[in-house]
Amino acid sequence: MAQLRMTGHRVLVADLRGETIRAVTGSMVAYEGDVTFKNAGMGGGDGFKAAFKRKMTGESLSFMEVTGHGSVHFAVDAQHITLVQLENDTMSVEASQLLAIDGQVRMDVKFSGLRGATSGQGLFTTTVSGTGTIALLSAGGPLIALGVTPQTPLVADPDAFVAFQGQLNQSFVTDVTWRSAVGGGSGEAFSLRFDGHGVVYIQPEER
Amino acid sequence: MVMEIENGKVLKTTITPGAQLTARKGSMLYYRGDVRFVPHSMGGGGAMPGFGAMAGAAGRMMQGEHVALMTVEGQGESYFGHDGLYIDIVQLDGANQLTVEASRLLAYEGYLQTAIVPLTQQGGMRGAVRGAVTGQGMFTTQLSGQGSVAVLSHGGTFSLEVGPGHPEVVVDPQAYVGHRGPITVDLTAKVGFRDVVGKGSGEATQLKFTGQGTVWVQASEQKF
Amino acid sequence: MSIQILDPSTLPTNDNLPGNSYAFCVDLDGTPWFTSKGAMIAYYGTVQFEPLSRTSVTGMVASQFSSPLYADDWVIAQGRGKLILGDRGFDINSFDLDEGNLTIRASSLLAFEPGLSLKQSIVPGFLTLLGTGKFLASSNGPVMFAEPPLRVDPQALVGWADTPAPSHHFDAEWMSSFLSAAAGFFGMDSGEERQFDFTGTGTVLIQSSEKVLDDTHMFRHVESQTASLSQVSLQQLHRSIGARLQQ
Repeated sequence: MAQLRMTGHRVLVADLRGETIRAVTGSMVAYEGDVTFKNAGMGGGDGFKAAFKRKMTGESLSFMEVTGHGSVHFAVDAQHITLVQLENDTMSVEASQLLAIDGQVRMDVKFSGLRGATSGQGLFTTTVSGTGTIALLSAGGPLIALGVTPQTPLVADPDAFVAFQGQLNQSFVTDVTWRSAVGGGSGEAFSLRFDGHGVVYIQPEER
Repeated sequence: MVMEIENGKVLKTTITPGAQLTARKGSMLYYRGDVRFVPHSMGGGGAMPGFGAMAGAAGRMMQGEHVALMTVEGQGESYFGHDGLYIDIVQLDGANQLTVEASRLLAYEGYLQTAIVPLTQQGGMRGAVRGAVTGQGMFTTQLSGQGSVAVLSHGGTFSLEVGPGHPEVVVDPQAYVGHRGPITVDLTAKVGFRDVVGKGSGEATQLKFTGQGTVWVQASEQKF
Repeated sequence: MSIQILDPSTLPTNDNLPGNSYAFCVDLDGTPWFTSKGAMIAYYGTVQFEPLSRTSVTGMVASQFSSPLYADDWVIAQGRGKLILGDRGFDINSFDLDEGNLTIRASSLLAFEPGLSLKQSIVPGFLTLLGTGKFLASSNGPVMFAEPPLRVDPQALVGWADTPAPSHHFDAEWMSSFLSAAAGFFGMDSGEERQFDFTGTGTVLIQSSEKVLDDTHMFRHVESQTASLSQVSLQQLHRSIGARLQQ
């Protein structure tokens, strides 16, 4: 696995010694050394079926494979970056908030249930599974990790949702009294509710 | 005259009689004391001599470069910020020049000399292409002398050294903030770049830095 | 390198999340809070949110909230739980008013306890809070507190407390230089010509940006004022807006 480190809170650095890391296309801001950047197949590079699903679902995830000997700096829109370890585990993540994956990690697209027609995010979620490091993006400030237990379920704004991990059941609730329907984005006509055992990641800013 | 970072997005300056500051018009947040703001002409130090025939073309090209400035003088404290962007202070020691795009300048000590220079000394087509690629106009600003310069960036900057041990540094044109020292900036069109260009920008070229000095890069692949 | 996982037992009580100046946790513990819609990004617990017009605590609303222009932006949160707030990536801070008087930009006020009463300020786009209690405000970059006398860019102003309302200050030097530079090099706006002047004692709250990202409150105020314009004035306004849009 590549050596990953942070420079400040918004720049991820990969020190490569022959390893390969996958990162979202266009996120490289600087590099030095002998490094090559290649489009990871038909976006995501995990088989034709996954790529086909992505095309069908409109999940706009386009990844590149970065390999070689040198240091590569990644950043996206001044968003905060958080590294999360995956240990033979699966994480569901909002496509736009995934920056990079490293190690034995697969990417896939799963059907996540019926949502409102207004949802720009479609009916599908990206999942990453295996063992390795995931770099997540959060807009508006550092990523927030909230634990969920059967005694403490969580309700969240879908536009602030980044990812979840664990034995969680995600459902859609129609109470949106507490959310703004105007200004700063269209706002979804539902809220997300999480029950079970796991962790939900959210960001301070609504998309 | 003192310049310091008040918080990531605010610059605090102490204004004293006889020591002027040049700042981006409209960027004053608040001030105390007897401070005056006077609009002044674009460019500060004026055009470099010997532009000759390019001057006419330069005038037209510079349309996009136009950033209005003002002189700040008097006695007191003045706080500046622009659009919630992050601020870094770069020190010039008299020996090395700072090259930075006009739209990224928040403020600088008034006695620094500024010049509008073409992006590449060779000029011509390559310079124009680089300008088009980076989204910068064909010209950029060079500051020289001894003093402080406050620079704007989206998300803050990190610096990379160019020199022994780091012969070549490549930077995304939208993320490039500025550089200091005798550095050569060139275009590079790496094979395969066209495939990995993001967000449909359609540009496959990057900026390549060689020589000796420091390059500042911001934490965002979108200019502002 | 591993992120701290928070839950209702570890979330702070009425404070910023650890290491996060952009997110705040309000502890709902039986007493209702006024919260602005859109400021909440998640919550734990059994919480009911009611719009001000259809609330079970109409008495409290009637006495504590008097701003019809903004009523739709607010809800009352009741119950027991933890509310997590985030606003456009702005810094969020809580402040305590003690028998105080604070005027704050409407789009910056996120939440307040009902010990405070809210009124619409005569200054367009601003609200006044009176009384004793906690309130939350957001700002572009950390809030700077400064004492008068000072002059501030109107758009960098977040609010002011226990100090006389500001007056306009026109920088004479700027105006005369501008007029003499009539070559048309500068636009009519976005200079330093208009400033708010604060004198006396008290505190002024200032943010890091001179650009207002969300001026819907200002727009609403201005729009409501046009109701009193004559036909002739409306046509003039129409022309000047048209000219502005052409720039």
